[in-house]
Amino acid sequence: MRRTDKYRFGVILLGLVVLQFSLRTRLGDDRTAPDFLLLALLIYTIRARPGKSAGAGFLVGLLRDALTPASFGAGALAHTIVGYLSALSKVVFFAENLFVNGCLFFAGTWVRNCLVAILSGKLKSGMLGWELLVWSPIQSLSTAVVGVVVLWLFRRELAIRMGDA
Amino acid sequence: MALGSDRYASRADWLLLIGCVFLSVVAMGLPGRLRDPVARALRQTVLAPFLALQEQTQLLAASLTRYQTVAVQRDSAVLAATFLPELRNENTRLRGLLGLGQRLGSGYAAAEVLHQALPTSALTLVVSAGKKEGVRPLAAVVSPEGLVGIVSSVDNEMSVVVTWAHPEFRASAMAADGSVYGIVAPHGTEGPRTWLLVLRGVPYRQLVPNGTVILTSGLGGVFPRGIPLGTVVAVAGEAEGWERTYLLRPAVHPAAVSHVMILTGSRGGGAGGGGGDVRAAFQSAGEMP
Repeated sequence: MRRTDKYRFGVILLGLVVLQFSLRTRLGDDRTAPDFLLLALLIYTIRARPGKSAGAGFLVGLLRDALTPASFGAGALAHTIVGYLSALSKVVFFAENLFVNGCLFFAGTWVRNCLVAILSGKLKSGMLGWELLVWSPIQSLSTAVVGVVVLWLFRRELAIRMGDA
Repeated sequence: MALGSDRYASRADWLLLIGCVFLSVVAMGLPGRLRDPVARALRQTVLAPFLALQEQTQLLAASLTRYQTVAVQRDSAVLAATFLPELRNENTRLRGLLGLGQRLGSGYAAAEVLHQALPTSALTLVVSAGKKEGVRPLAAVVSPEGLVGIVSSVDNEMSVVVTWAHPEFRASAMAADGSVYGIVAPHGTEGPRTWLLVLRGVPYRQLVPNGTVILTSGLGGVFPRGIPLGTVVAVAGEAEGWERTYLLRPAVHPAAVSHVMILTGSRGGGAGGGGGDVRAAFQSAGEMP
């Protein structure tokens, strides 16, 4: 990977992190607005090895747990698993296809929400059902749409180069 | 493009995964006294610039809303914009907070709610006021409509609030006329009554009619007396003929709150102003639920 590519990749990820803490609050309901931070993690896993992706997921999850102590640790575990599986899934799927990546973003967000909701132990029965079957799919869809747009806009910078993984 | 075999998980990848999972499980099992310092340290270091950015965005949004309100009032051509529900709600809420603040006097700190994206975010909120504003643990957090929750931990510039929806939340409560006392707790997450409160411990012979406003009683010294908790909507159950449990419609929903006031207690009383009676502050503008 060329040095300029690395910088561009980093700037895109940083941009998504900034959007999480700025634009996201203006995008309506918390439960349905796209999760830019998770999107940054999933895009990172396009290039990273599964181990590094799991480590990045753990760090992202731990930082989020610091902001939602009701589920402390659950976020770290959920992001670790999602990061690892996302990186691993690139082997199975055709990783440069926009639609496939969109599906991965959708699945990653939904699985993350499922894991957090279940592992935290705070949501049960009806509330858990609503979270998993209504709010999470909507948030997953909005995150996937934003993810596809980001991949399309920055398709040159985010091009997957297997030798650089 | 061909997929290289180096994409498969190596032993190092497995070890990293297992290590991260192990650390996550350890984090989940941490007791509160160890968990809170870790979370606080993260908020005050790595997350500090991002939270500051979020706070500035919130302030900018609020300023923009206020500016738009003034502009709309002055410019009849855009009068229709004032009927946008979101703008009207925001305006009403800010006006309510201003009115409540004046009635409460100086014993409060205003704060923005920094909503997060996780499913459990309505159970605990991060608000943009901390030790610098005089916030202390166990301080009551209110909105013009009523009680939002209680401060659980305090950083220099922000605090974590446990809302009434949290399974561990409890508050000593009474009817508005003082005739009935009990304990208010969240109804739980099962069945169709999610996001309701329950009033427990009411003697069987004391009937509480629907529509009765339930306030904090001030007993226990944590919450000041007189903060609206909710309104009785139904009988939830009876225990062996000696106790009734009532369902309450909450005065305020945590997920819908954008700005709150934290009672700092400087008007007298404990951390949450536990010794005072703030009923008049909520009654005078007809803001009882």
